[in-house]
Amino acid sequence: MSDPLNLRLKRLLIDTLKLEGVTPETIPDDEPLIGSGLSLDSIDALELVVQLEKEFGIKIASSEESRQALASVASLSAFVRARAAPDRLPAP
Amino acid sequence: MVSIATPVRLATTGCVTPFGDATATHAALLRGESALRAVPVLGALGGDPAPMALLPGRALDETAPPAWIAALRTLLAPTVADGWGTARRPVFVTSSNFGVGNLHAFRQHGDPANLAFGAPALCVEWLRRDFGWGENITIFSHACVSAHLGLLQASRVLAAGLADDALVFSFDFLSPFVAGGFHALKILNAQFPAPYADRATGAIGLGDGAAYAVLTRDRGDFAITAQNLFNELHHFTSNQPDGSGFAACLAPLAALTSGRRLWLKGHGTGTLEAGRLESAALAAAFPGAPLVGWKGALGHTLGSCGLVELAIATTSLRAGRAPGTVGTTGPTFGEHVAVTPFDLAGFDAVLCASNAFGGAHAAWILAHA
Repeated sequence: MSDPLNLRLKRLLIDTLKLEGVTPETIPDDEPLIGSGLSLDSIDALELVVQLEKEFGIKIASSEESRQALASVASLSAFVRARAAPDRLPAP
Repeated sequence: MVSIATPVRLATTGCVTPFGDATATHAALLRGESALRAVPVLGALGGDPAPMALLPGRALDETAPPAWIAALRTLLAPTVADGWGTARRPVFVTSSNFGVGNLHAFRQHGDPANLAFGAPALCVEWLRRDFGWGENITIFSHACVSAHLGLLQASRVLAAGLADDALVFSFDFLSPFVAGGFHALKILNAQFPAPYADRATGAIGLGDGAAYAVLTRDRGDFAITAQNLFNELHHFTSNQPDGSGFAACLAPLAALTSGRRLWLKGHGTGTLEAGRLESAALAAAFPGAPLVGWKGALGHTLGSCGLVELAIATTSLRAGRAPGTVGTTGPTFGEHVAVTPFDLAGFDAVLCASNAFGGAHAAWILAHA
């Protein structure tokens, strides 16, 4: 069964960036997000960061940290899980 | 690519930064001082602290009329009553922000007095009337190479015989709108900038700045001997990963200065990726030339940086000493990065490079006439 946080992040990706024809099931957890894979660019990253900070109450401190967090859904999930308060995360 | 290799003389130039005029700014840089302080990125609304350099007594939030008007009047005092803005004495005004701080203030407080400065044309018209200029004003805006574009176009007009002299004027003053935008990109954050430093994370600072230059065909102790503008059209916020955009701008200027000894004043905002690419491109195009960056002390003065740094470079040539890269310690991207000041005896000229969103690159070369 898919990790609930990973699923929520994929839905956030699709909704924030209005990815047409993309469903959570079509985004592998380890698919690169920036550059290749989903081919998101820095403007997409900016939109995502704003939404992530708002939804999970976390702070991304620098552009380097943003790039590391957004390497894949799996890395983003680990990043959010390490920084968000438990009540901001979906139940396991 | 847009370039000009016809020299234009620099009759006079000046700038204002949080340190004061060009002489005071040069002296502060030689002492290794930084004007950057931690300022809440949203001004009166608070927000994360970020390094910014504001004119003394000026708050991030704008007033109407703007608090920077007095500084501009002082800056341009030497040019008053010189008949600027007439047919043969055009004025070229550049900025990446104009009065956007007032537009933000209007949105916050609803005071319609802010609207007189809220659009570029309105803001420049207000300044035109205040400075007593005629109608021959051209406005340019091209992100952080705005001043370069103004200098280049003024030079082309002079070279074509369409003007006797040209005044290039650029101004950029910070606001919560501008600071908030850079903060959202995560490049303006709590860390202070260290241009060309080889460290784990990058960060920029922002700074207030304004400057002017009077260009002529035949008067002045200094000359801008060549200029170039190139846009790599790769992406709005990033460069070709192989640095070819930087190289393309520098190559024609390197060819023109072959055999001459240059020092380099780079863009060097403190970002890692662009800083690394820029540093490498400058080292390749101008082997052995020392590289400095001043934005670790002044912050990035945005569209006006090419003209602010022209005034400081001119002062450096006149004084015979170049400030080092203030704010940078530890390992750098290369041995050519000069952290401390150095004497200019034996150097023929200085190249100043600037880069901007959208993949724009610009550079000019300044030498004794």
